[in-house]
Amino acid sequence: MKLNLTMIAVSAGLLMVGLPAAAHHSFAAEYDSTKKITLKGVVTKFEWTNPHAHFYVDVADPTGKVANWNLELASPNMMQRNGWTRHSLKEGDQVVVVASQAKDGTHTASADTIQKSDGTKLTFMAAPPPDVK
Amino acid sequence: MRKRFIACYILAVTLGAVSLALAQAPAPGQAAPKAAPKGKGGRGPAAPTGPTPRLPDGTVDLAGVWMGGGSNSSDITKGLKPGSEVVMLPAAEALMKTRRSQDDPQGNCLPFGIPRGAPYPWRMVQTPTHTAATHIFILYEGNIHSYRQIFMNGKHPADPDPIWYGHSTGTWDKDTLVVDTVGFNDKFWFDYLGHPHTEQLHTVERYMRTDLGNMTIEVDINDPGAYAKPFTTTGQARLQKPGDELLEYICQENNIDLVHVNAPAQLP
Repeated sequence: MKLNLTMIAVSAGLLMVGLPAAAHHSFAAEYDSTKKITLKGVVTKFEWTNPHAHFYVDVADPTGKVANWNLELASPNMMQRNGWTRHSLKEGDQVVVVASQAKDGTHTASADTIQKSDGTKLTFMAAPPPDVK
Repeated sequence: MRKRFIACYILAVTLGAVSLALAQAPAPGQAAPKAAPKGKGGRGPAAPTGPTPRLPDGTVDLAGVWMGGGSNSSDITKGLKPGSEVVMLPAAEALMKTRRSQDDPQGNCLPFGIPRGAPYPWRMVQTPTHTAATHIFILYEGNIHSYRQIFMNGKHPADPDPIWYGHSTGTWDKDTLVVDTVGFNDKFWFDYLGHPHTEQLHTVERYMRTDLGNMTIEVDINDPGAYAKPFTTTGQARLQKPGDELLEYICQENNIDLVHVNAPAQLP
């Protein structure tokens, strides 16, 4: 699958998105909420697992070099209670993700919002009802 | 930062709704909860309202799926009972300063202990159900997927092994369930900041179901090994909507995030 990907770092002040609650460990200890990034790419895996769900996205930098990003979400239980299902994301989905990058500089981040190519918008914890995108 | 955490926590609490079976069963002889209107901003009906339910013998019935009620998970010194304050002993202060976020036991899929709150529902189960209970169990969805046992009118062992949830006995003080717990280990943290305790910890919890949907929980913390004087935490638990159930939560399944954490213990 052809990748059409960019990664854009933006300042925190430009994005009015909520900070995920890391109910299981300290969000602030792991992620830098002042360093929002936008990742555009293709989902390679969706882990509907505890204590946190994760999805992985292949993202290319401006030179075309591809990295696989690990995006953390809330726990499946919290997400399920707020509209997510294990089918909300799947391998091959084209997504644009706004996230907070891990302070250790790895390709790891906590996803704030996920925009799918069909228009569906998901957030860290909540998804719209099935009849609303 | 903390305000946003709390906002998300409240979101988790207020939007808690799943479409599983088994409604909150009323006690025998108790009217069924009113069919509440669809909750504003939620996906299901609002939490039921009504008077405090009772067993046939008049004992308050605490059974149900609840959310909240623990102490402030971020900082136990917040949200205390008015007039209460946390005064740490020097050794406890010194220990707290050494703590690292990645070592928080609950982040490593170990129990929260008592009275730290968790953003997951929990179920109070009494047995028998037709009269005053001999045993009360608290089933935790998270964190972790575990349970507590409260032995009604029981006695503590003379020399209990130090364990995560301690040894709990329960009595009724009029309509308040009073749970006395000793025999704690010193491993769990009171909050994300790493407030510690010792094996001398002794807690007294007071569960007050003020109506069908609400329960006030106060916890006396007495640990002369870590704190200069006792203090009391307060929390408000909310009965979850009819149909809400505990879900499986196996924390050890995929706990891969802590490898990215290397920082002092801090607010979430």
